[in-house]
Amino acid sequence: MATGPRTARGTVTAAGLATAVLLAGCSEASSGGEDGGGQQRDAELVLTTPAAAGEIDRISWALGSEPLSLDWVYSYDYPPNTVVSNVCESLLRIDESFTPGPGLAESFDNPDPTTWVYAIRPDVTFHDGSTMTAEDVAFSLNRHLDEEVGSYWSGFYSNVESVAVTGPLEVTVKLTQPDVLFNQMMAVAGGVVGKQSFIEAAGEDHGTPDGGLMCTGPFALQEWSKGESITLARHDGYWDGANAAQAETIEFSFLSDAAALANALVTGAVDGTYGVPESALRKVLESGAGNVYYGRQTSTRNLIVADLEGPLGDVRIRQALSLALDREGFADAAIPGPSEPSRAVASKLTWGEGAAGETFAAAWEELPAPEQDIERAKELVAEAGAPDRPIVIAQSPAPVQQVLANEVQAAGKRIGLEVEIEPIAAEAYSALFGDAEAREGIDLFHTTWYADVADPLQIYVNWQTDNFANYGGWSDADYDALVDEALQEGDAEARAEMVVRLQENVTENVLWIPVDHSANSVFLSDRISGAPATNAYLYYPWAAQLGARG
Amino acid sequence: MSRFVLRRLYGLGVTLLLTSFLVFGAMHVAPGDPTSFLLSGRTPSPEAVAAVRAQYHLDDPVLVQYGRWIGDALTGDFGRSVQFRQEVGGLLGARLPTTVALVAYASVIMVVGGLLLGFLSALRPGKVDRAVLFGTTAAVATPSFVAAIGLISLFAVGLGWFPTFGAGEGLVGTVHSLTLPAIALGLSLVGLLARVTRASMVEELRRDHVDMARLRGLPEGEVVRRHVARNALVPVVTITGTIVSGLLVATAIVETAFGLPGIGSMLVQSVVTRDFPVVQAICLLVVLAFVLANLVVDLLLPVLDPRTRAYAS
Repeated sequence: MATGPRTARGTVTAAGLATAVLLAGCSEASSGGEDGGGQQRDAELVLTTPAAAGEIDRISWALGSEPLSLDWVYSYDYPPNTVVSNVCESLLRIDESFTPGPGLAESFDNPDPTTWVYAIRPDVTFHDGSTMTAEDVAFSLNRHLDEEVGSYWSGFYSNVESVAVTGPLEVTVKLTQPDVLFNQMMAVAGGVVGKQSFIEAAGEDHGTPDGGLMCTGPFALQEWSKGESITLARHDGYWDGANAAQAETIEFSFLSDAAALANALVTGAVDGTYGVPESALRKVLESGAGNVYYGRQTSTRNLIVADLEGPLGDVRIRQALSLALDREGFADAAIPGPSEPSRAVASKLTWGEGAAGETFAAAWEELPAPEQDIERAKELVAEAGAPDRPIVIAQSPAPVQQVLANEVQAAGKRIGLEVEIEPIAAEAYSALFGDAEAREGIDLFHTTWYADVADPLQIYVNWQTDNFANYGGWSDADYDALVDEALQEGDAEARAEMVVRLQENVTENVLWIPVDHSANSVFLSDRISGAPATNAYLYYPWAAQLGARG
Repeated sequence: MSRFVLRRLYGLGVTLLLTSFLVFGAMHVAPGDPTSFLLSGRTPSPEAVAAVRAQYHLDDPVLVQYGRWIGDALTGDFGRSVQFRQEVGGLLGARLPTTVALVAYASVIMVVGGLLLGFLSALRPGKVDRAVLFGTTAAVATPSFVAAIGLISLFAVGLGWFPTFGAGEGLVGTVHSLTLPAIALGLSLVGLLARVTRASMVEELRRDHVDMARLRGLPEGEVVRRHVARNALVPVVTITGTIVSGLLVATAIVETAFGLPGIGSMLVQSVVTRDFPVVQAICLLVVLAFVLANLVVDLLLPVLDPRTRAYAS
């Protein structure tokens, strides 16, 4: 259910082994020159950057745009979540590899499939020094159920019947039907706890520059200078001493222009950023101002089939277009970091650990390799007959999308399909994801869609009949039933078996056209180190790990 | 004169009221509404849609909505931004000073540079004139984003004289930070104004009364000052007023390139996300700036050209 489409920045993805091997030789990573004109296709994937050597007074970080709000109920995009993850904490906490563990809840219990009991950690203090209570927890979770609030995370609460305080440090959530994703969501923004009296007093201003935030994280919101920057200061009374912040302050500047960002990184005005834009990467690497690290991410690049009735109505035409795509050529032209042609929509980072992870890995090998096969594609077109009107692909001004749209057009030409490119302004592009009217006349559009948790089920619920992300309007009773069954399956391995079947179904029917798994990138200046390299920074207090470089 | 000012102020009020209605109407005729943004990323239940629509009064008739908006606007309350969920007043209040400072700085560069080059070009025919002509042609043809790229790579990244982004703090900090953006914004306008000034000067220099003044033996300096420049400035002042007020929303590209928090980039972002309250407030601001700039021009002209005084009184 996670949408990752809104900002162009930070939307690159991951592939490769889940080893936590650190980049061998920083200079090798930053020289860039030898490996294909500044490209780093073979760069190693790491879980995190080298640990910080010690504390640091001030870090300057760049965000692709100003967060619209820091209220976590409205934070479902790269810029807000990058900041909120350091200020506000959830009941559970993921690590760099998206593995969940205890957070503000010391432990949880699942006495029956529809009951989740959270034991709240005692002695956790908010940034104002007051102690967090079970009432604060219940109030925070209940906000997602309030229609007046209009939480972006309310979808994950659709099976929640009630959230109540059931003991001095205990909160119980009752579900109307079993839902395995609910508890997983308690590790991300859907499970954030804020101070009740503060939220009530702030009212509509909560989470804005005028109202602020009152949470428990390693950093507190110090200043939000509208349109310019957000400054966080270390929370000295942080409950988790082992993970306390290394930096005294971190200032986030809003730099939407890739050239402006590149200049700021090169001159050292900014120390780091996630998702270095493709166009800025080369300049940054050549400057020697710091290093770029790559890690896996829970998102993949796909072309969403927005209309399953139009020219892409016949599955053979969709298969043909997918077979005609030159994914390697696209990656060579547009993706500067590691990238792998993808076989399915769910990213490898979502597979999880243990037996479930092995099930997904085995299923991946079974899926058809994403190799170009023009002959087979032509046969499919001949069988189905070319559609009577051109296939329309939407394209925002983001360079990656331009390359991809051109490749789709070329792929169509190779096999006798006419593809028309419809240019759309960057900001208007995001309307495609929420507004059916905006998708009128569009057959295909680009997305880097991310999962919030390490469970591919979160991706495959998208094709349930009434899901908002089911843009093509796919409807299959068996599929819907299997999703419901998987949502009720508490055993991760048994669930993986079901999700693999969902994945096969989506892949066979080409409901989205998978393009590639590319890597998350993070730039760190030569002053700092310690940030995770995966996209766990969306929900994990990553900035606390950032400190001086050794 | 005071009656003239009063009359203009009255006209200003009427203009603002009319344009406010046009702006409001236009935003509501445009397709789409903020509901989809407010409910982004979800399968909205009918109750959620109804709650959002009620919150923003989207189901009232347009005239009722307009009446509520204009009534609140008169008390300084421009509503709440749909995307930022903040008061529009505070949202723009934080960004307006940067944009106003940038526009003022660029205007000073435009006026000083444009007048100097225009005079020089008109009074020194031959090599100097041709050199200025060449330079101003290049300046006019340089879009602000191209100027921005060049200025940043040379003076901010290369020489390190100026910051690469941000608006700076305090007077000195602001002037320092806004120098490159103001040059990027004003460069092509310097060229434009120099050309207008030159043309206007050359025309005045050919006039009979200038020949008369010279024949009467007045020193050349006085001829140029009293009989040429003063008259030549009339069209220059008029065009300057129009350019400056238009600059207020022409800053988007420069603001983005230099990472400045201003209202130009805010307007662009708000239009595409259908953030009605913000767009309406910025449009009103721009109309206000146009009307005020025209007022200033109208007050200046009689000082320059006595013939327009009869009209003014």
